[in-house]
Amino acid sequence: MVAGTAALLVALAGCQAGDESGSDTVTVGFISPVTGFVAALGTDMRRGWDLYWELNGNTVGDVTVRTVYEDDAGDPEIALTKARRLVEQEGVDIVAGPVLANTAYAVGSYVASQGIPSLHITGADDLTQRQLDPHILRVGYTSSQSNFAAGQWAYDEGYRRAVTLCPDYAFGWESCGGFVTAFTAAGGTVEQLWHPLGTQDFSTYVSQVKELAPDVVFVGSAGGPDAILLYDAWQDFGLTETPLIGNCCFADQVFLREVGSRASGVRSFMYWAEGRDSPEVRKFVTEYEKRHNEIPSMYAAGSYLMAQVVAATLEKTGGVVDGTAFVDAAADLSFSDSVYGPFTFDDHNNIVGPVYLTEVVERDGGGYWNVPVKTFEKQSQFWTMSADEYLRQPVFSRDYTGQR
Amino acid sequence: MRRYLWWAVVAFATTLLVVVPAVSPRYVVSLFTLTVITALLAISVNMLAGEVGLLSMGHAGIAGAAGYAIAWGARQHLDLAPQLGLALAVTLLVSAVYGVTAMRTDGIVFLMITLALGIVVFGLALKWSRVTGGQSGLTGIRRPAAFADPQVFYYLCLILTAVVLLGLTVLRRSPFGLVLRGVRDSERRMTSLGYSTPATKFVAMMISGLVAGLAGVLGVWNAQFISPAVAAFDKSAMAVIIVILGGIGFPFGTILGAGLVVGIQHWLSSYVERWPTLLGLLFVATVIFMPRGIAGAIQGAAAGRVAVAPWSTWLSRIGIRRSGTTAPEVEIPHQTSSPEVATRKGTE
Repeated sequence: MVAGTAALLVALAGCQAGDESGSDTVTVGFISPVTGFVAALGTDMRRGWDLYWELNGNTVGDVTVRTVYEDDAGDPEIALTKARRLVEQEGVDIVAGPVLANTAYAVGSYVASQGIPSLHITGADDLTQRQLDPHILRVGYTSSQSNFAAGQWAYDEGYRRAVTLCPDYAFGWESCGGFVTAFTAAGGTVEQLWHPLGTQDFSTYVSQVKELAPDVVFVGSAGGPDAILLYDAWQDFGLTETPLIGNCCFADQVFLREVGSRASGVRSFMYWAEGRDSPEVRKFVTEYEKRHNEIPSMYAAGSYLMAQVVAATLEKTGGVVDGTAFVDAAADLSFSDSVYGPFTFDDHNNIVGPVYLTEVVERDGGGYWNVPVKTFEKQSQFWTMSADEYLRQPVFSRDYTGQR
Repeated sequence: MRRYLWWAVVAFATTLLVVVPAVSPRYVVSLFTLTVITALLAISVNMLAGEVGLLSMGHAGIAGAAGYAIAWGARQHLDLAPQLGLALAVTLLVSAVYGVTAMRTDGIVFLMITLALGIVVFGLALKWSRVTGGQSGLTGIRRPAAFADPQVFYYLCLILTAVVLLGLTVLRRSPFGLVLRGVRDSERRMTSLGYSTPATKFVAMMISGLVAGLAGVLGVWNAQFISPAVAAFDKSAMAVIIVILGGIGFPFGTILGAGLVVGIQHWLSSYVERWPTLLGLLFVATVIFMPRGIAGAIQGAAAGRVAVAPWSTWLSRIGIRRSGTTAPEVEIPHQTSSPEVATRKGTE
């Protein structure tokens, strides 16, 4: 007992020199876009993060976890300045990273260079692939990760010709990349359609789909207005007979609140299924809804999970945050259940966990949500390949989506 | 005493710029560096707006292109000289494209064309992912070892900005500067005097583009990262806002304007959640109460020209035309064939 305490004191003494808040407080710098065009995401992130600490208290063993919030406005330059402020002025021990891909890369790179661990929920593939740093941990799925299962499943269902429709930027390339890689490897053929982000009128795309008359259509969407407009056009053109599957973020709550009963039965491949019947999910959704009057989005869920991972890691390291050792300890964790389900981390600091085929169903008490109908366990960011094999392939782009 | 008010402000600001970063923590130094680099881009816009009467809404495109050139060069592990050479070549190329496309236009057409060109650069940065890294950008760019220290790098930026300001002053006092102002005041008259106004505007765009390119390179070295956001419309728009806040035609005022904007965006935003509203209100207030910008207002006060204008004047400033200015108005100087307008401008 004495030896243990002495060891703990020695370990704490070796903590970051910049920790002004005392050796029994761990300060986390939480950066998210609370203003700007993705303000809704950033706000959800803060809410999810806060909810965890509210429900579980922010003491872990002997340490108190203190959060300092910063707004990055969705701009990488501002995100960098805020990261600098958090590291140099506030002396944070951990950074919970921003969500937009370019802000995440900028902040992750800077924070790692200062020897500080950072946690992320962004889906940007390369953060835990070609741009991995041992200080970085992604508490989430890559943009392509949840769509490999979709491609395989589509082929197993008997579909042979698919059309993909994704936004023409990195998230869309990676989302469709996941589906196309798996579907074509199994033997299917694809026709790819790309639309610019923020498309107002999807009728040209939907009519092209109608003309191509595929067996199945895969839609990669970042959710929100794009998804709503697309689905409206889909129904207007009478395509309801063609099977449609969405990616992680197509049938999100923003979409469901607007489209409601018309979306009943829409199937997607998601990692955050808010309708999943598990005590972890039910508790999170109920508590969140009590406070904010809406069903939590994946950004809230991801941030809640980030907080959970921080707490669990601190428990494991006895409150010590020591650069890459903290990240290694976190990556060793395994959860038998969580808001995402049971998961572990791979050796590239990314989640290996379940992906659900979900269906939109009406909820008792009003509203619609996604309920899993099939579970695909242990999906990795590298699909069924080894890390080396996967990384030898080019980065997903408009020209390369893994087509065989 | 009052006459020296502007010089007092300049001296005070310069002292701050020189002294504060020497004694401050790294975070403060990084804010100052960002201010100076942002000011540099705004100065390039101000040069065109103040001297030639052309307001560009796309200069972040030139800065962004130069930034990507040096970022790509750094990741290919080129030596410093080829990196800079590449950045220079790209800057000249992009400025030339801007120049050729816009040299026969002015006023609102010029604004729209430069806006469009800026978006073209942004689109290229977004889509040409093999070279630019697409939306995720390029990480791991290190500035030259000699400037690795943030303080050393800051003073490099400060010195370069001072050199640019000096250069622009020399330009303003040169015969070519006269030609530029002639084009600003009346293109028609310059043409009738035998000057090729498109060629003049092209050269002006090249010079302005060089400054913007420099700002782009320094920006990448500061962040050690680049993504399409550097060429986005809101960066160009922010440069214009800074120019208007500081005062069109007052290069040092641009630095004050940049200090304000960077201060709100990057520092005040940590304490005030509705900071974009604050920035907007500041901009609206400047346009209504200080249409010549902060520098213009201070210089006006120094010359004893301040009076509390009647409320009707303030109202009219929200409208299209103002009377009695020596610097170009906040709205783009617009050449009309009306002799009344030509005479009014000719009397300044």
